[in-house]
Amino acid sequence: MNAALGTAGVALGLAAAVIGAVTIVIGLVGQRPAMLRSSRLYVGLLIAGALLTFFAMERALITRDFSLEYVARNGSRETPPLYNFAALWSALEGSIILWSLILTGYIAVVVHHFRKRLTDPLVGWALAVMLIVAAFFFLLMLGPANPFTTVKGAIPTDGPGPNPLLQNHILMAFHPPMLYLGYVGFTVPFAFAIAALITGRVGEGWLLETRRWTLFAWGFLTVGIVLGAWWSYEVLGWGGYWAWDPVENASFLPWLTGTAYLHSVMVQERRGMLRVWNLSLLCATFSLTILGTFLTRSGVLDSVHAFSESQIGAYILTFFALVVLGSIALIGWRADRLRSPGSIDSPISREGAFLANNVLFAGFAFIVLLGTVFPLVLEAVNGERISIGRPYFDRMTVPIGIALLFLMAVAPVLPWRKASGELLLHRLLWPAWVGTGVVVIAVAFGARGLEPLLAFGLGGFAAGAAIRQIVLATRRQGLHGLVGRANGGMIVHVGVVVIAVALAASSSYSHSAEFVLNPGQSASLAGHTIEYLGLQRVTEAQKSVVRARVRVDGGPVYSPALSTFPGGSTPIGTPSVRTGPRGDVYLTLLDVPDTDNAAVRLGLLVMPLAVWLWIGGGLMAVGTLLAAWPGRRRRPTDPVSAPIPERRVQTPPPPEEPVGEPVGAGVDG
Amino acid sequence: MADQMTDSYVDEEVKPRRRVGPVVAILLGLGMVALIAILATATPAFQKTNKSPLLGKPAPDIVGPTVTSSDGAQYKLSDRRGRFVVVNFFATWCAPCQQEHPELVSFARRHLQAGDAEVVSVVFGDNDNDVKKFFQENGGEWSVVSDPQGQIALDYGVTGIPESFVIDPNGFVVSKITGGVTSEGLDAILTAAEQAESPSGSGG
Repeated sequence: MNAALGTAGVALGLAAAVIGAVTIVIGLVGQRPAMLRSSRLYVGLLIAGALLTFFAMERALITRDFSLEYVARNGSRETPPLYNFAALWSALEGSIILWSLILTGYIAVVVHHFRKRLTDPLVGWALAVMLIVAAFFFLLMLGPANPFTTVKGAIPTDGPGPNPLLQNHILMAFHPPMLYLGYVGFTVPFAFAIAALITGRVGEGWLLETRRWTLFAWGFLTVGIVLGAWWSYEVLGWGGYWAWDPVENASFLPWLTGTAYLHSVMVQERRGMLRVWNLSLLCATFSLTILGTFLTRSGVLDSVHAFSESQIGAYILTFFALVVLGSIALIGWRADRLRSPGSIDSPISREGAFLANNVLFAGFAFIVLLGTVFPLVLEAVNGERISIGRPYFDRMTVPIGIALLFLMAVAPVLPWRKASGELLLHRLLWPAWVGTGVVVIAVAFGARGLEPLLAFGLGGFAAGAAIRQIVLATRRQGLHGLVGRANGGMIVHVGVVVIAVALAASSSYSHSAEFVLNPGQSASLAGHTIEYLGLQRVTEAQKSVVRARVRVDGGPVYSPALSTFPGGSTPIGTPSVRTGPRGDVYLTLLDVPDTDNAAVRLGLLVMPLAVWLWIGGGLMAVGTLLAAWPGRRRRPTDPVSAPIPERRVQTPPPPEEPVGEPVGAGVDG
Repeated sequence: MADQMTDSYVDEEVKPRRRVGPVVAILLGLGMVALIAILATATPAFQKTNKSPLLGKPAPDIVGPTVTSSDGAQYKLSDRRGRFVVVNFFATWCAPCQQEHPELVSFARRHLQAGDAEVVSVVFGDNDNDVKKFFQENGGEWSVVSDPQGQIALDYGVTGIPESFVIDPNGFVVSKITGGVTSEGLDAILTAAEQAESPSGSGG
């Protein structure tokens, strides 16, 4: 029943996507507006298909229909409701369901947003591209990642439940959907970029259409990455939050190129420059989301948390090849139209700073990509096997991070075109004092070392510059000074600074040790004392847990645990963390004795400022929301002297507003 | 991706302008084709096998006292013909060995019933008591052979651990795996070895 429903949903979705894409393309080529308008019907059917697929799988999971192989492998009678619901995205096949559901959601919003302009070739081509992407994911569900295969032979009465690591923390219910909202969201700007290339309308019009979409996708990706790091910190128990694991890099790569794009797009909006580059960045971002899926799902790379291996690799790689080569061919073909009308006047200007920012972000992405795929490349070339780990990434990326902090301080105060020294001095004076002050305070508190102090100082400098902008804007416009891209962006900058400082502090000044303690014994490290009180054994329905009760600094009792799930042979450790504004005390239970009164082995880690990583992530999310907030602003392509439109009662601008640019334009609206 | 940046930028600044776009696109395209080719032909990480002069040769015999049994029973590899044997060199102090251990446990458990494959571990530079404790804590019911002089490791040319060899039912080495194994990867090797054998009719 569930299998039939689900397969029907997949088939419906695939048919709707394929027929819809073909209809739109025929309508575009043959110039038949009626066919273009019918895209709403196909998108409606596509949503129906995706929802049916999703509900069929959730129904199977909730009713414990173990006749489905996916449920037999990832469900169990004892899994609590929330994790059972989240089991949908705990393995490959289910994540593809989630992916396609989110993608169809985005497509639906696009169709609704542009409902009066469905006959516009730009919108038509963009829809066609998105439907093709959707068709690919539905094809995966029909072929190599079919979630609705039924169990052969006897139907089991119970299953092992999701991977134990994935049913240990509430964050697991939110981290993958956030990440996917980000990943998939980049499909929209990518589709518009391809549409702009095909139609030849490579002016600035399509940028404005997709600006907010890109911002949302980027915001979700940011939240997804931060939640992933948080989950890794709270659940995996190795005391870190980022390991440069291929899976992590896969999410970080599109974030880097997406961030570069969000900055360089402003240069194009304002000055009409960097067009090839912006299109390339969008295509690269989307390609990297696909490449990331390939790297994590095909099993070509060793990864600590590669949760799935399957034969799906060939399909994804083919799609990746199609996307990359198609984009490159289109950009090469349109290169002549993409000639920019101007050039940069002075390196010390806003556009010069954005350019430097892009060089750094592109370099950052290149380094991460190289570190991720280099072992494969080397093996292909001379058969040698190496593994690239933390040292490479740390050494290569820390200088870039420091340089980015510096740019973050200087760039927001630079004017467009050309800056004078006097102006810079005036605007940078007090941010520079903030930075110096931070360094002095840090040294007074005993912070040592070049890298962390540089990070603190430049962080203070950058935060000073961002806060200066916010203060000036709110003084001028009141609360409106917090919304809009420039102001929201400054709040994102403050979030980034908070994360950078927390990163520097927690990686440079952390202390860790292992202790073997008998009940009643204490140990201390870096000013914190722990006292081991005793063991507590709990047998729950779906797992048996051993907790060590540990008193931290004479205060409350924390209990790191080891859980054994019936399906898994190795026990899963659950750290217990005392979170505080100045730092975390992170406890792990490493080894449990057979008798309750014997000694246990405990891991103790003191992580300064760790909580600020998550707070910084939250600030970035808030800033992104504020930046995307519809408000009173002039269209960026209008001349600066154009009046700002009066605020309407309804804030969002009417979507049917015509695009101002002539076909093949290079002329600002 | 980084060179794409500089190239496209050159495109913007060079005057008088020439048609560099297609050239850059073709170069970049070729680079991506190469990357895709590498990705397409890469061996999945879970079945990365290495060359060894032993491949296709009779496996050097393994004879020695077992660590896990208290009576010091002798293990002899040549007595174990008729099934696949995964010879696993390991130590308790080696993190990748600890990581692969559950995979070996799962592999051994799955093949216990059918009796078509088993695991034997050879201790590499470790003391027997630690090994005993490790197996008590982490499971694994197969024989663990003590190798205090490192003679077995020498016979097999072990350079680093974990390292595993798959011996076929006739006692020939069919595969050498450097780094951690996975249960599925081992199965893939067994299947491949069975398929390679059956057409020639030499198998079972």
